[in-house]
Amino acid sequence: MMRADALDKALGRERYALDLAPADCLWAGAFRPGGLSGVAHGRIVRIDATAALAVPGVVRVLTAADVPGTNLQGIMHKDQPVLCGDVIRHAGDPAALVLAKSAQALRAGLAAMRADIAPLPGVFDPVLALKKDAPLVHAGRAGGNLLLGAEIAKGDAAAALKAAPVVVRREFSTPVQEHAFLETQGGFAQLLADGTLDMTVSTQAPFRDRFEIGHALGLDPMRVRVRSPYLGGGFGGKDGATVQCLLALAALHSGGRPVRMSWDREESILAGYKRHAVRLRYALGAERDGTLTALSCSLVYDTGAYAHLGVEVMELGMEHAAGPYRIPNVRVTGRCVYTNNPIAGAFRGFGVAQVSPAFEGLMDELAAKLGMDPAALRRKNALRRGDVNPCGVRLTSSVGLAECLDVMESHEFWTGRTRWRADAPRFARRGTGMACVCDSMGYGRGLADMAIAKVELAEDGGFVVYSGVSDMGQGNAAAFAKLAAQELNQEPGAVHLVQPDTALCHPSGSSSAGRTTYTFGNALLRACAAMRAKLLVRAALPLLADEAASLELAPGVVRRKDDGRSLPLAALARFLTRDDRICVAEFLMPVAQNPPNTGKGFAIGFPHLFFAYAAHLARVEIDELTGRVRVCDYLAVTDGGRVLDRSCFDQQAQGGAAQGLGYALFEDFRLERGRILTRDLSTYLLPGALDLPDIVSLAAAGNEETGPRGLKGVGEVGFDGAAPAVAAAIADACGLRLRHLPFTPERVLAALRRGGKAGRRA
Amino acid sequence: MNVTFPTSLAELFASLAEPGARVLAGGTDLLVRLRSGRDASPALVSLERVPELRGIGLADGPAGQTLRLGAASTLTEVLEHPLVHELLPVLARALAVLGSPPIRNMGTLGGNLCTASPAGDCLPPLAALGAELELASARGLRRLPLEAFLLGPGRTALVPDEVLAAVCVPLPEPGTLQHFEKVGRRNALAIAVVSLAALLRLDASGRVMDARLAWGSVAPTVWRCPEAEAALAGRRLTLTALGRAAAIVRRRVRPIDDIRASAGYRREVAGNLLLRLAEL
Amino acid sequence: MRLCFTLNGQALDIEAEADRRAVDLLRELGALDVKEGCGTGECGACSVLVDGTHKLSCLMLAAQLQGREVTTAAGLGAPESPHPVQAAFAAHGAVQCGFCTPGMAVAAAALLAQNPDPSREDARRAISGNLCRCTGYVKIVDAVLHAARAARGEEENGDDNGGGAT
Repeated sequence: MMRADALDKALGRERYALDLAPADCLWAGAFRPGGLSGVAHGRIVRIDATAALAVPGVVRVLTAADVPGTNLQGIMHKDQPVLCGDVIRHAGDPAALVLAKSAQALRAGLAAMRADIAPLPGVFDPVLALKKDAPLVHAGRAGGNLLLGAEIAKGDAAAALKAAPVVVRREFSTPVQEHAFLETQGGFAQLLADGTLDMTVSTQAPFRDRFEIGHALGLDPMRVRVRSPYLGGGFGGKDGATVQCLLALAALHSGGRPVRMSWDREESILAGYKRHAVRLRYALGAERDGTLTALSCSLVYDTGAYAHLGVEVMELGMEHAAGPYRIPNVRVTGRCVYTNNPIAGAFRGFGVAQVSPAFEGLMDELAAKLGMDPAALRRKNALRRGDVNPCGVRLTSSVGLAECLDVMESHEFWTGRTRWRADAPRFARRGTGMACVCDSMGYGRGLADMAIAKVELAEDGGFVVYSGVSDMGQGNAAAFAKLAAQELNQEPGAVHLVQPDTALCHPSGSSSAGRTTYTFGNALLRACAAMRAKLLVRAALPLLADEAASLELAPGVVRRKDDGRSLPLAALARFLTRDDRICVAEFLMPVAQNPPNTGKGFAIGFPHLFFAYAAHLARVEIDELTGRVRVCDYLAVTDGGRVLDRSCFDQQAQGGAAQGLGYALFEDFRLERGRILTRDLSTYLLPGALDLPDIVSLAAAGNEETGPRGLKGVGEVGFDGAAPAVAAAIADACGLRLRHLPFTPERVLAALRRGGKAGRRA
Repeated sequence: MNVTFPTSLAELFASLAEPGARVLAGGTDLLVRLRSGRDASPALVSLERVPELRGIGLADGPAGQTLRLGAASTLTEVLEHPLVHELLPVLARALAVLGSPPIRNMGTLGGNLCTASPAGDCLPPLAALGAELELASARGLRRLPLEAFLLGPGRTALVPDEVLAAVCVPLPEPGTLQHFEKVGRRNALAIAVVSLAALLRLDASGRVMDARLAWGSVAPTVWRCPEAEAALAGRRLTLTALGRAAAIVRRRVRPIDDIRASAGYRREVAGNLLLRLAEL
Repeated sequence: MRLCFTLNGQALDIEAEADRRAVDLLRELGALDVKEGCGTGECGACSVLVDGTHKLSCLMLAAQLQGREVTTAAGLGAPESPHPVQAAFAAHGAVQCGFCTPGMAVAAAALLAQNPDPSREDARRAISGNLCRCTGYVKIVDAVLHAARAARGEEENGDDNGGGAT
């Protein structure tokens, strides 16, 4: 299927948030004193705006004193100042907001801002942050730097590990990762005469944004209108207010003029949310035949200066910490810790990305230790439908992991792995590695995963679908339009989609968690069914039919099935009031019934019921002279239930794997005492077209009966498989197990020097 | 900031005489610096339309034939020139992995030289080739060997009213082996972490008669290692011989730590890259 | 300064500050398809054709546009008659969020103008200065090759039923 929006984007006709900004905007920019000075934790002694205000074109400089309301934003935990008054807690913390008449004036004004920041002792290591005398990120906070401690316990992992004939114990670490969407954070806003705050912004959660803004600035959320055009990428980094509260604050002080804010790349890296860096300590126990008996791990998530979605990310990571396997005894302890590092939040893979290299690294090592084929070990322990998963949830939903393994194992990349390794050219080592992963869909228990779809018969006889969920590139808008056209038996061009607008559409949750096509799609199916039923009844009288069953919808018309006599929908529309031309329906994602009490300390989100599964494979070539690892081939086999649209399905698998390969090999986010050293895209390196192989995406046959057309969300699982597959391939190539991401050439070369052996496993 | 477009050398020198005037070649380095607040200037003088600064062709030099490369030639123009491809493959190879296609379409050979980054991709090949530079000013022309031109990171021997007019490369002897390898953190848009350019003349039995080796990114400017070159003289390009030369390199080189690599990695790889010559 | 140049076929004669960045000027003139993704030449989202050559407008000054023919993605084709590259991008799943797409289309169009029969490697090299965070490049490369075939009359640039890599 060609996505309906694709041609417009290729023609350069798509308009993103800042493209829509009116010409007469004021320009707003945040002053972040820690950025240049490299001070991540400090007391704000003085903000001096004198020179800035003297710059021609600078209109106002706002500080914390100008913020009404609580001056605290956040999604669940509201601990992040819109403008810092006393203390900055990370290098990107904003202390003032400059308003100017032009981009040049804004730049000059920001450059003229001065601040006296008295450095405070900072804490930059989450393990050290938990020590008794560690400096506090939030002074006076009960609980110190520990945002949350939680545990999952099923069976008796400690005893089972003691009794296990084979145990593998290792430590791993994963780094901070930058979303690096091509479209940076930004938007524009205006306080209208009637008191409405009207905002257009690149956001994954337009409906929730109103509440975040309202709480932070003391505004009535229902008087805030948020419009969400297509995003130029989100990946989680635009879930939760980025520019929204600052922009709203600016609009309140702009005398009714529209005001715009756009973060340039450097500001996006300095101030945007990040993936949590995590430290992991794992132990895996098994029988000699490879049956897993116990997994115990402790995880420390560095959530940075503010909570954002730290708790939720860690909880999801903990829920997935034992992988897609049957393990009777499981203990996972997690600590989510404040530091003076950049704020960590949502990022595709959401906690699961970090645990996957750990549990799969151990599985791979266990297979080697037992002399078992890596795929055979996975297959032996792979979850099936009806099994109880490591958290104690009985999987009544679809589980396609075995099917993924079937496809992977029959692929020539896997069957040819011995030959691949043997054919390594001079100065190179070659290897093949695989990984199995799963990633949940939806919000889990405790938070309604709900969507409300609105469909309208337009006066011209076409249909309008009011989407409640942002399209950040996953193609849900096009999918919804296609779904509606199919349900209503109309030409694709007859369905027009309205992107989320809180004044026109209905709340449907965030664009995240692989949920939008599933949840909103299901709501849309219901709304279309209601619309079809309604129109048939409404057309009955004009068509002289006495039973709705004798009528059907056809392109542009309602018609009698017997003689084809039809009534144009445009004509029917004229007979109806606007109210009557609209159908609204909702859907609530099912949740795990009788959830186990294995999770302690979990607020919301535990456990989940629906999971996507995948088996990934990487073929690598390592250059012995430089340590560079080239991924020559990559295969992603994904279970997403029924595939509604193969192209969209592949896009998610390929895109997720590409980001995962960046995470594994290229993206080396460097921090030094809270100061970001990789400040722009010349030092924070995304893989380019010459760095990635042709990622092959295959679908495992499956069906999720509860999903629209049988599908499950696959937006995130594709990310999780890449790092473990590459780690396994490196191990296959030279016997070295790398447990600290990214696998930079320097780390690989150092490991080779310490003693890797071609073709042998550790 | 004023921007002028002189159309001759004479006009160029006149424009450069204005106080604070800076040269604008391709702009790929300058505009990045301007963005971060460095190198602000009241007047930029573009080299785009000065014909004397472009053109690629054979010329007679003091010691034989040279290939003369106009300094304002874009990197793409140099890369795609048949004579460069045929006669200076070591330079072509470096250009092919420099930046990206649009960067090469905009950036100039002279700009890469005058920016004088320790990691400049053109610099090791031109050093190995023994390039000489033509510097022009209202006072006339002077020539300098490349290695006398590059003084340190971002520093060259250009005096304020001078421009780099051309790069003159003596043609290597027919049969000379030319090799270039750049090690970056990815395959395009990557600052070199270590690079090696090598020109080798072998006799009929495969023994090295003359070796010219030049490394990038391991010193303030292009780095030569005469001891390594001497160690290869009279030897065949075996792993043993190359390994000995590599060990010399690792002992002598003094790279730094930076955001892209540690000194230790650079030292190790600077030696390792010599081993690749066994493939020649 | 007085600036005269052609933008997507339209001759312009305007007053502009010589040292204004080309990307800012072009966007102000309505070419909103020219995007700023990094401002330092690292991402390619600001790609334009200048006299047919692929350049980065974030690293150009307005003055450098004098007398030139500038083409942005929007100038490569129109809804009724898209450039083969644009039709192929849409048909072969090469577009996800679409933010890199105008720059990619410019890079690909420049390639096909020079090389009507590129290999996959040629296509990868041509877009090596354009970052994409969504696709992993596979379908973009597929689309470039399909566009080349369509431009040579060897295939219809029609709907493709997905089908994954290659």
